[in-house]
Amino acid sequence: MEQRQPAVRAEQLVKHYEGKEGTVEAVRGVDLEVRAGEIFGFLGPNGAGKSTTVRMLTTLLSITGGRAEVAGIDIASEPDAARHRIGVALQEAGLDPRQTGRELLTLHGRLFGFDQAKAEARAQELLELVELGEAADRVIKGYSGGMQRRLDLAAALVHEPEVLFLDEPTTGLDPASRLTIWEEVRRINGRGTTVFLTTQYLEEADQLCDRLAIIDDGRIVREGSPAELKAELSERRGGEEVSLDDVFLDATGRTRDRAAGEVQEVGA
Amino acid sequence: MSATLSLGKRALREALRQPDALFMTMFIPIFFLVVNTGQAAEIFPSDSTGFLEGQGYGAFQLPITLLLAASFGMAALFLVEEIEGGYFDKLRAMPIPRYSIVLGRLVAEAVKGVVLASIIVLLALPFGITIASGVVGFFLIILLSALWGVVYAGFMQLIALKTRSAAATNSGGLIFFPLLFLTPNFVPRELLTRPMEIAATLNPVTYLMEALRSLILTDLDWGAILPGFAVIAVLGALMLALNVRMIQTYD
Repeated sequence: MEQRQPAVRAEQLVKHYEGKEGTVEAVRGVDLEVRAGEIFGFLGPNGAGKSTTVRMLTTLLSITGGRAEVAGIDIASEPDAARHRIGVALQEAGLDPRQTGRELLTLHGRLFGFDQAKAEARAQELLELVELGEAADRVIKGYSGGMQRRLDLAAALVHEPEVLFLDEPTTGLDPASRLTIWEEVRRINGRGTTVFLTTQYLEEADQLCDRLAIIDDGRIVREGSPAELKAELSERRGGEEVSLDDVFLDATGRTRDRAAGEVQEVGA
Repeated sequence: MSATLSLGKRALREALRQPDALFMTMFIPIFFLVVNTGQAAEIFPSDSTGFLEGQGYGAFQLPITLLLAASFGMAALFLVEEIEGGYFDKLRAMPIPRYSIVLGRLVAEAVKGVVLASIIVLLALPFGITIASGVVGFFLIILLSALWGVVYAGFMQLIALKTRSAAATNSGGLIFFPLLFLTPNFVPRELLTRPMEIAATLNPVTYLMEALRSLILTDLDWGAILPGFAVIAVLGALMLALNVRMIQTYD
């Protein structure tokens, strides 16, 4: 059987910023391999380097050191080719509030090289997919938070990307909207799209992800499936039943008190 | 090119959905035209003021009105709003030339500039202002005003890209705005006090204003018109180069 290439591969990925107080090492040598077709969770406390890593992998931020490939394409040497293969929904739906949902999706189709008729047809298809058909011709400014996230997801899917990056797609949403987004993510993944998901919600990672990595202080400190990570910790603790929260706290050296406000346990 | 045009169309749609902003862009310059003309028309009667070339003082004030209107473009503010809101990153993650993100907005500014300048000049005609350089002059006035709007918006976009802050972009406008008034906007350059004359001579906007004024008050005088277009060409090339460079290296 043919071995599919990894959807995302990072080797010793490094990002430094020059700040007022010297160099800040936001990411310090991240190695990652995301398999094609999986939902990969990327967890970490605030400021651990999650978003910086995602921004590098999506070509939005230059790489200080190391290398990364998305869908087999080196993102530093062929950023445009990589952009054809990825879809991006960043923290807080980044949308143009003065366009309607339909106009926005049609514009994205045009920017991905579709002719007008194909762009309009794809917009209609996606609006139906994320159940925004009735709101399609309203300006986005009037959409609820959940509707905006769904539209943001649709916008990331216009060109049928191989890899979809979702940076905290449910932060700030109510439980019902969060469940809807989870269903969308599963449905998108079910069609063969690899999903790279960062989240602050451990239950979200547990529910959705095939595998996950935990980043802390710019370094990967755990990697594996939720079940593997829990089993490994349970074994170290003499068979004690553990949750993904315990894995996270163990990996990042935090206590429950210290973790409060950094990583949230939120049920949908 | 097609990405630039698609994004330009979007920016135009955006402008049309903010009619209040378009109204203010028209209202404030016309307000100043009326007020300045009302205050100074008695001082500079058309029959005894040589530099008016037989027209009323309103004709002399029309260039600053056009330049003011062109300088009220919203491109930079919409851009910085997009940077703060995250849509700018969404566009940067697409396989389009990054310069099309800034050029698209400038294309829209050019179209808006043509429409606004045409409206202002056409509104001025019933009030006795004539375009002495004729139909060709009319089109050159519209072109020059619209191009100035593009150049000004482009420099404001640089502030937006550099600071990524709406407040800083607004403040940045205050730095450029005085340039519009360090010009011979009330009297010809030779009638200014010496320090103001030096300031006006060093200010590139002066040549733009003098080109517009020449087109309104006299027949086609290329000696006055070409310096205006030269200023646009030099500032425009600089603005475009800086915009492209800044968005290509945006991190």
